[in-house]
Amino acid sequence: MLQASYFNGRSSRVRAVNLSVAGEDLVVAGEDIDLRVPFAKVKVDERLGRAPRRLRLEDGAFCEVRDLNALDDLLSAIGHRDGLVDRMQRHSQFVLFACVVFVIVAFAAYKWGLPWAAAQGARHLSPAIGKTLSAQALKVLDDGIFTPSMIAEGHQHALSAAFHALRQPEGGTPNSALLFRRSPQMGPNAFALPDGTIIVLDDLITALGDDQQTLAVLAHELGHAHGRHGLQMLLQSSATGAFLAFYVGDISPLLAAAPAAVLQARYSQKFEQQADDYGAALLLHNGMSPGLLADALEKLTALQPAGSMGGYLASHPSTDERMRRLRLLAASLPAK
Amino acid sequence: MDKVTEIESTSRASFAPEQFRFNGNGAEYFGIWIVNLLLTIVTVGIYSAWAKVRRLQYFYRHTELAASSFDFHGSPIRILIGRVIALAMFIGYNYSLRLHSRLTILAVLALAAVLPWLLRNSFRFRLYNSSWRGTRFHFRGSVAGSYRVFLLNGFLTLITLYVMAPFMHQRLKAYQHDNSWFGRTRFSFHARAGQFYLIYLLLLLAIAVFVFVINKSGILGALTAMSQAQKHGGHVDPRAIFRTLLILYGALILTGILILPIFHALITNLIWGNTRLAEHRIECNMSPLVLIWITLSNFVLVVLTLGLFIPWAAVRLARFQLHAVRMFPASDLQEFVSAEPETVGAVGEEAASAFDFDISL
Repeated sequence: MLQASYFNGRSSRVRAVNLSVAGEDLVVAGEDIDLRVPFAKVKVDERLGRAPRRLRLEDGAFCEVRDLNALDDLLSAIGHRDGLVDRMQRHSQFVLFACVVFVIVAFAAYKWGLPWAAAQGARHLSPAIGKTLSAQALKVLDDGIFTPSMIAEGHQHALSAAFHALRQPEGGTPNSALLFRRSPQMGPNAFALPDGTIIVLDDLITALGDDQQTLAVLAHELGHAHGRHGLQMLLQSSATGAFLAFYVGDISPLLAAAPAAVLQARYSQKFEQQADDYGAALLLHNGMSPGLLADALEKLTALQPAGSMGGYLASHPSTDERMRRLRLLAASLPAK
Repeated sequence: MDKVTEIESTSRASFAPEQFRFNGNGAEYFGIWIVNLLLTIVTVGIYSAWAKVRRLQYFYRHTELAASSFDFHGSPIRILIGRVIALAMFIGYNYSLRLHSRLTILAVLALAAVLPWLLRNSFRFRLYNSSWRGTRFHFRGSVAGSYRVFLLNGFLTLITLYVMAPFMHQRLKAYQHDNSWFGRTRFSFHARAGQFYLIYLLLLLAIAVFVFVINKSGILGALTAMSQAQKHGGHVDPRAIFRTLLILYGALILTGILILPIFHALITNLIWGNTRLAEHRIECNMSPLVLIWITLSNFVLVVLTLGLFIPWAAVRLARFQLHAVRMFPASDLQEFVSAEPETVGAVGEEAASAFDFDISL
């Protein structure tokens, strides 16, 4: 005997009933109710927390039971077995296990899964998308913080010629466009757009005052273009953004934005190292020393007020470590 | 307006007010939440439709009125189909935005044309799949009404520079609540636009005070000074810029946590306090101060626990909000009669949520 409330599905009237088992049937008995329903036709809702549980009969009628443990006894007597997910979410050990698996999966996806997927994506994405994105980014920058370069035209041509004459380690010469722009706000800087276009700012050229060193910085930027780091960053930040929105979106969209930036920072360090390695290899291939890039970095560091990180270096973390690696490379593999 | 109130008042005796209650508990919901999360990740998002049904069922079934709980009946498959369609629309829309061509305008127009219809469908799906004591809710708003509310009023709001926004909000709620039914009993909405304007005025005032304080504190001045200094060749410590930005972002979050809960509490009290189910009155008394406290503490705890507090935060919020609502029955709540069954797709609801329209009910 199990107390329940019966609803006929046609009105909100509650009827107190007793549930019991007779052979293969569920018996529902109470005030002006006397039903026998074969078990096969009863649909049992899953047990969710301490919410009353429902046994669904036909035509929208159902019995609502509050004594969940007594109902479990009745259900096991008739051989009903709860669904897998239902059991999982109530089983404290499984919940703990799910917690651990979630942390591991999230960590692995962040550390290996996402970079791998982004690299694959960046490699297979149609070049047209990179072109469109770059054209838009350039337009935004040109309308906003860029002004035309004030570097003498002859100097620009000389740098362009030297840049396009570089022989790449994988063969051929760079097919990236090299653009000159001026932007006092951004300071001495150079960067690669998703389609491989490289932009160098006046302040970088004047601050270094040495075209060989400028070329070394451009070699580093070619490394970003070669590794398609721009597209990879874009894909990674979209994916982390989407996940965070899904993860905390229930509570507060405000929370989703901040951690995405933090997660992004680690990836960029890896890309810098890869670009350094490519730049160093390219310099060696052209009979130049990777030390040139280290010298350029040193000069840019010296330009900054003590203790601060701005301009080119703000987007390129752990400069000391990078200079050390590059000098080591220069020492062990003397230029041809 | 036909009056189909099938309530047979058996006696004239007064009925005690009925309080909404939420009996969920954070630890219990944590189990459901983490399993939902895990299965959603493992199935690359496909399970999210089932996860949504479980989440809603957990919250509905733990919500009680007059000792009976609510229920959610939405089918996961329908929600999944809705999500796929919504995702396709979302990608198409974003892609066309990137193209910057005549196609973009076309996409925006197409979206504007289908969105009201989708939103109406989402109301229908949500209400049709909600029930209390085995009787389902229904939404019977017309398609024309939906276009009037979303397109016409939206357009008016834009061209009047949001002066009409409170009016539009009132029209939207009237469209939703006047067209909602419980079985064969109709809801009605009685809040006037003037009452919405009053609360929006308060919001505007709070924002004005915030802007005034920010201005007085000189944060913006410091930022402009720094960018000016840089423009003229001077060097500014980027960490100083970062610090200032951090203060600004913090102030913004703080405002969100302080001002938005006040607005939310006042507007929700107004909306539900002026909604009736036939002659049964509803009252909503959410305290803005308590809501600020809950929002603030939830925010801090979710950040500190890297999100693991989310289930407790959701349960706390639901309990507070539901316990603020009471119903004053004018007659016996036993006698609501169900309507004929109908089938409603989930496309609208899912598409609407993908385009980030958070329509609270």
